[in-house]
Amino acid sequence: MRNAKRPAILSVICIIGFCWVLFTFPGVFSPSVKKLGVFIPAIYGMIIAASFISFIGVWHMKRWGAELYVIAFCSKMLYFTLTHTFGGSSILGILFSIWFVVTFLVYYRRMDMNL
Amino acid sequence: MHLFIRLLKESVFFASHSLLANKLRTFLSLLGITIGIFAIITVFTVVDSLEKNIRGSIESLGNNVVIVEKWPWSFGPNYPWWKYMLRPTAQISDLNAILKHSKTVEAATFKVDVRKTVQRFSSSIENAHICGVTGGYENVSKFQVENGRFFSQMEADNGKNVAIIGKTIEEGLFSPGENPVGREIKIFGRKFTVIGVVKKEGESLLGDSKDDQVMIPANFIRNIIDVRQENNQPRLAIKAKEGVSNEQMKDELTGILRAERRLSPGSEDNFALNEASVLSKGFDGLFDVIGTVGWIIGGFSILVGGFGIANIMFVSVKERTNLIGIQKSLGAKNYFILFQFLIEAVFLSITGGSLGLFFIWLITLTAGDSFGMEITLTLSNAVLGLTVSFLIGIISGFVPAYGASQLDPVEAIRSN
Repeated sequence: MRNAKRPAILSVICIIGFCWVLFTFPGVFSPSVKKLGVFIPAIYGMIIAASFISFIGVWHMKRWGAELYVIAFCSKMLYFTLTHTFGGSSILGILFSIWFVVTFLVYYRRMDMNL
Repeated sequence: MHLFIRLLKESVFFASHSLLANKLRTFLSLLGITIGIFAIITVFTVVDSLEKNIRGSIESLGNNVVIVEKWPWSFGPNYPWWKYMLRPTAQISDLNAILKHSKTVEAATFKVDVRKTVQRFSSSIENAHICGVTGGYENVSKFQVENGRFFSQMEADNGKNVAIIGKTIEEGLFSPGENPVGREIKIFGRKFTVIGVVKKEGESLLGDSKDDQVMIPANFIRNIIDVRQENNQPRLAIKAKEGVSNEQMKDELTGILRAERRLSPGSEDNFALNEASVLSKGFDGLFDVIGTVGWIIGGFSILVGGFGIANIMFVSVKERTNLIGIQKSLGAKNYFILFQFLIEAVFLSITGGSLGLFFIWLITLTAGDSFGMEITLTLSNAVLGLTVSFLIGIISGFVPAYGASQLDPVEAIRSN
């Protein structure tokens, strides 16, 4: 189990995820997020960092990666709801995230439970 | 929990030891983050300070004050300036009509601005800002007479040769310790008695600080200059009564001014009712653009800094592979190795970010005078700088740290 081969679909998801983090990270210090409050960029940044770490976990076929992704996804939903920042791009992001979560669940049993 | 703190302490010890062992490498790798944080937070600091100063200047005009003049303070590409060219300027007759008929106005004043030399004996200030104002100005505009008093109604109505001067004018014409009240100054070649000095306001980015102004009765200045001329900027400043909104007052003013100017029902208004909020909205777009440009430039710098940290962490892991193997063979858990390298990356990144913030703080101490305004590093910008540094450390350090934690102890020990 420790060296389980990563399915191609998970590789694609992880690459999309890494690119997504690269493009969304500058949003942490964007003027629009900064306007929302002093600690909002920190919260948003933690969610993005958690998503990035979760993709690394999934890349290595680790269960904690999939679990962390679900936590990050729920936190992101909470963040959007509390800050009233749902938009067209966030709906697209949610659809992608749902696809990611479903795929992770499909391959969850093949993933390693260790760190 | 106790075990976790002990492990964290040990990880910090290992990380700091490794960073101190390679001082030059540490310095070079944190330089990227220092420059990135410096770039982005400097832009945010300057924009925030600029915004604060401009908004302060706009607010000093008064939020519940409407300015009646020929030109509207509109912004945008389709500004129909040709429509406004033929409009008449605001006049004292308009003010009288408003004071006579309005039920929503608390105070109103007529104002003109000219530039003239102010003299006292051999001292003179060239191009001083002379404001001709009617009584009621002290109730419309926000300022405080520190020494002396404002015009009495009689002085304003009769156009007496009295003046209220700003702090800069006082400093330019009177010697230190000398009381200007009761002394004479010369403007337009005529003598004026100083009856008051306005409390120091400091610089205004809109260029209307009372420090550089001399206020004299409008009924005096109208005998010397043509107050209908556009270059004297004739305007009315009208303040609403408490509980009356600007919109309510503007509706009433429109009716009164249209009647006073005898405009037929179908014709357009030939005056503009301006508010400070219009200026404020106009600047919103400008600040957004500056902020976004700074964000893009700073974002790239931070990205480069992050890659620098990731690179140096990979080198660090490669260099200490042997040590990782020994630690693991002695019982070190994967998460201990992970934390050790992750903390090293975060520590490096936060140190770089803190250095960037320190340089910005130094700049705010020294550059305020050259910018002509106060520049302050706000708590929100400092928190943002540290947050971004922390996150860059986590993101760029996690891959090398995780790689180190997954090493096989036997293979790691055997590596050179």
